[in-house]
Amino acid sequence: MSTWLNRQRALADFTLAAMGRRRIKNAALVMVYALVVFLLASAMFFAASLRHEMHQVLAEAPELTVQRLIMGRQDLIDAAAAERIGAIRGVSQARPRLWGYYYDRISGANYTVMVPDDPDLMPPPGEVMIGEGIPRARGFTWDGAPLFLSRHLGDLQRFNVARTFGTDSALMSADLILMTEADFRAFFGIPEGLFTDVVARVRNPNELGKIVEKAAIANPDLRFVTRDDIERTYQKLFDWREGLMAALAGAAVLAFVIFAAEKASGLSAEESREIGILKAIGWDTRDVIAMKLWEGGLVSFGAFLIGTIAAYAHVFVFKGALFAPVLRGWAVIYPDFTLTPQIDGLQILTLGLLTTLPYVAATVVPIWRRASADPDAVMR
Amino acid sequence: MIFRMPILALLLVATLAALTALWSGAFALGVLRHWDLTSMARAQLRRERMTELVSTLFGAVMLAELAALLLFVFNADRMAALFVGAMCAVGTLNVNPWGFPALYLKIAVFFAAVLWLILDRADRLGRDYPLTRVKYAALLGIVPLVFGDLVLETTYFLNLRTDVITSCCSKLFTPNNPNLANEMAALGPGLSLGLLGGAGVLLAASGIAALIRGRGYALYAAAAALVFAMGITAIVSVISVYIYENPNHHCPFCILKPEYGHYGYALYVPLFLATALGLGAGMLGQFRAVPSLQARLPGLLRAQVIWSLGGFVAFGLAALWAIARSNLILFG
Amino acid sequence: MITLSAVTKLYNEGRPNEVQALRGIDLTLAPGALSVLKGPSGSGKSTLLSIVACMARPTSGRVTLNGETVSGLPERFQTELRRTTFGFIFQRFNLIRGLSVLENVILPAAPTGEPRARVIERAMERLAALDLTPRALTPVEHLSGGEAQRAAIARALINDPPILIADEPTANLDTALTERFLDILRAERAAGRTLIVTSHDPRIWGAEGVDAVIELRDGRITHEITGGVA
Repeated sequence: MSTWLNRQRALADFTLAAMGRRRIKNAALVMVYALVVFLLASAMFFAASLRHEMHQVLAEAPELTVQRLIMGRQDLIDAAAAERIGAIRGVSQARPRLWGYYYDRISGANYTVMVPDDPDLMPPPGEVMIGEGIPRARGFTWDGAPLFLSRHLGDLQRFNVARTFGTDSALMSADLILMTEADFRAFFGIPEGLFTDVVARVRNPNELGKIVEKAAIANPDLRFVTRDDIERTYQKLFDWREGLMAALAGAAVLAFVIFAAEKASGLSAEESREIGILKAIGWDTRDVIAMKLWEGGLVSFGAFLIGTIAAYAHVFVFKGALFAPVLRGWAVIYPDFTLTPQIDGLQILTLGLLTTLPYVAATVVPIWRRASADPDAVMR
Repeated sequence: MIFRMPILALLLVATLAALTALWSGAFALGVLRHWDLTSMARAQLRRERMTELVSTLFGAVMLAELAALLLFVFNADRMAALFVGAMCAVGTLNVNPWGFPALYLKIAVFFAAVLWLILDRADRLGRDYPLTRVKYAALLGIVPLVFGDLVLETTYFLNLRTDVITSCCSKLFTPNNPNLANEMAALGPGLSLGLLGGAGVLLAASGIAALIRGRGYALYAAAAALVFAMGITAIVSVISVYIYENPNHHCPFCILKPEYGHYGYALYVPLFLATALGLGAGMLGQFRAVPSLQARLPGLLRAQVIWSLGGFVAFGLAALWAIARSNLILFG
Repeated sequence: MITLSAVTKLYNEGRPNEVQALRGIDLTLAPGALSVLKGPSGSGKSTLLSIVACMARPTSGRVTLNGETVSGLPERFQTELRRTTFGFIFQRFNLIRGLSVLENVILPAAPTGEPRARVIERAMERLAALDLTPRALTPVEHLSGGEAQRAAIARALINDPPILIADEPTANLDTALTERFLDILRAERAAGRTLIVTSHDPRIWGAEGVDAVIELRDGRITHEITGGVA
């Protein structure tokens, strides 16, 4: 064992000394490699923290959302349905909600308009509470500027801004407008007694599947969407977007593999002479391979470290400036928020396999070919 | 198909391993047909040098497969959120019929790769490379395993459908349904720990005997396999219960979760490595009579048994520590 | 004791540019002796040296080292043997540029897995004996010809091999340096090492202390003098 360690140490020492002589060439390789790691790592970190954010937000959401369907389309639901749902065994609380989208022609963005059910978030009549994205989209220049909303040409509705939300949970609230029920009904023209949908909580979340099954049979005109359904849909959406980024990064990996293979098999006269000398003075093919693997290992490790740290900074400090549009969606209002770092062994292991494995695969055969040079070559 | 980075990484490992196996298999056929150490021909020299490439590649495949095995379980656990009814890796692996076979085959590939590398190591100790033919015949046996791994894993991932309702560990590892997993779970904690302890005593005895007498490695390997089986059983029936501090939670996968401090790795990693080394010792013990290995094989065998015993001790300590620090009381 | 019987060597076997470098060599090299292989370039002396030193396998024939056949060993064991039994001094010294003298000297010890401190201690002793201590950390490209050769000698001796091989060692040296080199050779011979040198330099094969001179031409031994030349 100690013989093995001594041998590895001697080989690593030689590798370091030998690499020190070709600093610029090796640094260039490390930088290209690090760029590939950076692309892949950014995509993964970004998607992981989006997933985490989504999970946090959904954790507070009600377990069950009920919509009314007419001809396969969602329609307004009446208050009586809320009572019917509340009466289902196992449902502890059912509450109708009012919310909708408003397309703002001025900024070209969609806002989410809601009537809050938390009394703390209820603005006074005629006023609104808004997410931090709206003042940005509208180009508000001073605090307390009123919000004007227009439903059609010539129409202008003024709302004073009671409060603007901070950026902590911006992913979900950036484009939000909260107003009172009366203002909402007046603004959108929704008659009394009708609602967008109904949300419900259940006593035992493990029984949710059974409750939905029974309720769906009893109420064929209603659609029941569980929180897990929503989470799964988002998960898949994020996975798909992450995959899209991975495909882009995959192209970069492929390019890098070709580059690395080229570099590993292009044998400079100087290097082939050196390997000849090493073999002549008693290095085995295996020793040369081990030495070259040390070289590859050091390059990989350096590139991995640089690429991962750069990706960390990119995603969590610079908010993923490069790919935010792809990963978050194509909304006009990008939430301005700080992602919580979510890094675990799974990501690091995946990242390590996805980057080092192609590099090893690209270089192992050229390395072996060099290492199996004839030991008597230097004598000829 | 669900497009996820870890799945891409796993498929990459499996594909590269299959390519390596394909190429090495073709080379192995050439070795079996033409290997002749007495030949001074250039072709023989080239073949000798190729064996260095095969060994290097297999070393890389083994490391990648070990990482992939961890990643496979880790990822299955993490994907549980996508499937109705899945709470941990068991649920994800149960989504379609290929999940568990893929896991078992991955474990088999890992063991096969370790054993092959041990054989390779021993072969290179003898000046006439006495085990080369055995080694490459064995390699031909590994090729289908590696390919099966690729096929099963791909089938499994392609058929992951989120609308399937799966069943998780609470269904699989309960004493009610008649199958192996449930019988393992149903084994009484005292009986299970007793069996593991008994197997451990047998292992220690056979290991020490092998170290003293320089033979009886096959017995040690058999004892190692027994401890492996008993160890897994004990994890399902007792040790996991202590870790969860819940007498009805028997899952061998949940102990890998962060909620339980990833404790499972402290159990599985030494257990798997120690078993692989023990089986390797049993395999190499068959070649003690080879003349060119007389000088150096006994040392290798001893080292292997010592490391293997060390691994089992680490597993035993991890198991005892899990029981000792638990707030659950099953006995007394 | 190294013996060769009926050794032949073909390069580019079976191809149009096939070259027969050695034809049926029978030779015995005595232990503890200083033997010189001489002959014009292309005579096969370097090929013979590489076969004697387990660097290449003969195409046919047999080489034994202390009674054990080594010509048929797998390359890996030939390498092991080369590392432990032979030290090499090459024509152009073949030091690795960009590395220091010390780093070059310890290279043959890297695959042995010997503790580094011990290797370095031994290397420094060698360098001291060859008056190279002040140059130990100098990159080898800054050495003079004589210094480079002594660095090459130190490297050849780092694993304390019983046999020292030198291929045209004095090709680039003036008379004074050649004399110094011969002094070193004689000292190593006195210390019990076997020395095998190829050279077409009369200063070498005519020198005092040479035990045997083997002359080659076109891959055959044409003349062999043993038992004290000068």
